[in-house]
Amino acid sequence: MERISFYDQIAKNKRKSFFLMFLIFLVFLILGYVISKIYSGISFFTIMIFAIIISISYILISYYNSDKIALASVNAKPANQTQFKQYYDSVEGLSLASGLPMPKLYVMQNDQINAFASGRDPQHAVICVTTGALEKLNKQELEGVLSHELSHIANFDIRFMTLAAVMVGMIAIISEIFLRSLWFKGSKDDNKGGAIFLVIGIVLAILAPIAVQLVQLSISRKREFTADATGVKFTRSPTGLIGALKKIKNDKPMKVNKAIASLFMSDPTRTKIQTMFSTHPDINQRIQILEKM
Amino acid sequence: MMPILWILIGIVFLLALIFIGYYNKFAILSNRADNSLSQIDVQLKKRADLVPNLIETVKGYAKHEKGIMEKVTEARKAMVSAGDIVSKMKAGNALSGAIGKLFAIAENYPQLKANENFLQLQQELAAIEDKIAYSRQYYNDSILSYNTACSTFPGSFFAGIYGKQKKEYLQIPAAQRAVPKVSF
Repeated sequence: MERISFYDQIAKNKRKSFFLMFLIFLVFLILGYVISKIYSGISFFTIMIFAIIISISYILISYYNSDKIALASVNAKPANQTQFKQYYDSVEGLSLASGLPMPKLYVMQNDQINAFASGRDPQHAVICVTTGALEKLNKQELEGVLSHELSHIANFDIRFMTLAAVMVGMIAIISEIFLRSLWFKGSKDDNKGGAIFLVIGIVLAILAPIAVQLVQLSISRKREFTADATGVKFTRSPTGLIGALKKIKNDKPMKVNKAIASLFMSDPTRTKIQTMFSTHPDINQRIQILEKM
Repeated sequence: MMPILWILIGIVFLLALIFIGYYNKFAILSNRADNSLSQIDVQLKKRADLVPNLIETVKGYAKHEKGIMEKVTEARKAMVSAGDIVSKMKAGNALSGAIGKLFAIAENYPQLKANENFLQLQQELAAIEDKIAYSRQYYNDSILSYNTACSTFPGSFFAGIYGKQKKEYLQIPAAQRAVPKVSF
């Protein structure tokens, strides 16, 4: 079996995610250009800018409080240091291996094996594991999971995915406002570019939001692969994470708010069929790649 | 004529930024490596601090095992008095080996093995061994980052200008973890 290095995996997936991010930005530019060809009026753009400011403020506020929001939505409790000594020792060791400051540790009550990390930067990071994970995983497997979570913090994934969400949100808003404005256009022809741009504009406005959402989900999957590989870089052995993923494969699903589902280590809803709408890559594929490292 | 002047100013400004950028990059990576070296020191010291407690606990149950207890105490002294990080690590390895032998001998004293304090110390020392390993790993990783910055283009050009040398990796192997056989 051909061996792959985790350094290469990290680099490859980061490149892919940057490229996909750039694609979203490109769609944004094209959309803006086509619409500017159709509209000359100021009022359209003022509404658009106003809506964008509101949505960006909303996203920024939730980004700044991402750790609190995530923890509150699953009713996580701070982990007591003496009670969860193994948990603390593992994260301390991994913080030393990664050069990151030690994140705050939390526990959430659930039988499923899972974990998530949140927080706007490494200085404000939190990691939360389920009680199921602490009970069902051995020391090496738990370290594998914690290393994956710490990797998300190290790679600034929360910031990265928020950036993607901002752009996708802007595209959705612009498209929405544009399509609605056509309602009120009437017969007064202030259309600068001609009918062709109008057609392109409508097609774009309908397809773009869906397309960039798919791209966003693809980015999410690439960052998961990156986190797997970076996790191996910290523990220098894929064994723990492989063991944990194998145990996770047979776990029962958990009911979680959709917004936070993408933050978890593996899809908490345990949807059996992998589609382009999945936030996480296929578990079998993840195990396959890890076994090659 | 005027636009050319602006373009030149722009280029000079850009170059200045690049020169500053690389100077700072080397400084940051170098400091990171030095800091991670002191982190190894922190973990080594933590382990050395636990040794007196360990000796006292063992003495209570295995008084006549003087030989190994002396070895551990000596190894600890050597570690604490060591000067630079290289000798500290070598002494640390010796201490790790001695502690390992002590735990092997403790296997013959069931009362000692059941002692709460002893168990806690054993767990704590095992955890610290892991952390020492991780901090060594990070030190070598930070050296790798620094050396890569010095040797790849265009960093290598700036490294030459600023006189930055590549750093050495930590060569000392980790202590032997295998518990030695105790024969009677």
